[in-house]
Amino acid sequence: MAQNEQAAVLIPVQQKAGLGMTALDDFTPLVQSHQRRIYRVLLGMVRDPDAAQNLTQECFLKAYQRRASFRGEANVGVWLLKIAVNLARDHRRSRLREFWHRLSSSSEEVTDLGQWLPDPHASQERVLLGREEVASVWSVVEKLSPQQREVFVLRFVEEMSLEEIAAATSLKVGTVKTHLFRAVRAIRQRLKGGRTSE
Amino acid sequence: MNNHLSEDQITEWLLGTRDDFVSRHLETCRACSVEAEELRSTISCFRDSIHAAAERDDSYWRKQQHAITEHASARDWYPLHWAWVAAMAMVLIAAIFLTRTPNPLQNTTTEDTDKVLLQEVQGDLAREVPEALAPAVLIAQERNEILTSQSARPSRTLPKKAR
Repeated sequence: MAQNEQAAVLIPVQQKAGLGMTALDDFTPLVQSHQRRIYRVLLGMVRDPDAAQNLTQECFLKAYQRRASFRGEANVGVWLLKIAVNLARDHRRSRLREFWHRLSSSSEEVTDLGQWLPDPHASQERVLLGREEVASVWSVVEKLSPQQREVFVLRFVEEMSLEEIAAATSLKVGTVKTHLFRAVRAIRQRLKGGRTSE
Repeated sequence: MNNHLSEDQITEWLLGTRDDFVSRHLETCRACSVEAEELRSTISCFRDSIHAAAERDDSYWRKQQHAITEHASARDWYPLHWAWVAAMAMVLIAAIFLTRTPNPLQNTTTEDTDKVLLQEVQGDLAREVPEALAPAVLIAQERNEILTSQSARPSRTLPKKAR
């Protein structure tokens, strides 16, 4: 998501605040412009559409409650992502949810998401190969450590810079890079393994 | 010796770090360029699959906005709600405190009434005759007075009867 979009949202918010509008009025445009991205990131991290939906709502509610603590020094999008990442971590830590998640078999969700077609007009063979590739990457991402998955999703799905990822995940830039290297290595090995088994 | 790019070099290239040596190598080495391109394409497919999976109708996002703003406005009332609860708790505690504090006063009044009772008992005990028999004592006193007055008069009345 472009920085311009975030800036475009922030300026009217500050102007509205200056005009004495209620906090909720200021908050609604923020939700409108960021909800898709937050949902997408959470979906990539928790791989459960229902959980991603609930966590997205919780993310904005937390942001609303903590709006006084946002001083505008950081990018509002990164600030929201930081809340989302922490919520995803809390969600993961919940052993009960983990238990039910395993019981209901997350592999089904992964394969569902992996059924996406890269190009609907491609040949049958290409479609099958594309599906296999995506499903394969989903299963590799599933096996990554939580932090590797976080940085992988933020870098390759949201195309964030290493500095932005570091701010959103509260990690050092060097650590972010290390996690990314390991994640890419895991995917590369999986791809190589798939090729040699063929 | 292996002349191909290392894993780290390919990953750096994927992360967008531009290195002249890597770029030149990818232009000339078919094996490395195929491998790097495959990796890039796979990750790109993964990204597109998440974007596609996260696609929702406008109505979905509107519903979510509505739910968020509704909950947010409800949470605005949370501090007031808790202030109200705290105020009610204070009132309750005050009420309990106030209803219990008169007890020492009650004790003093009972002490007073006890003293009065004791005084009354002492008074009753100090009497020669119980209070209930006081009218009888009065009757007896009157009778005695009559008798004494009669005993003083008989010498005058008897001579008349003799006549």
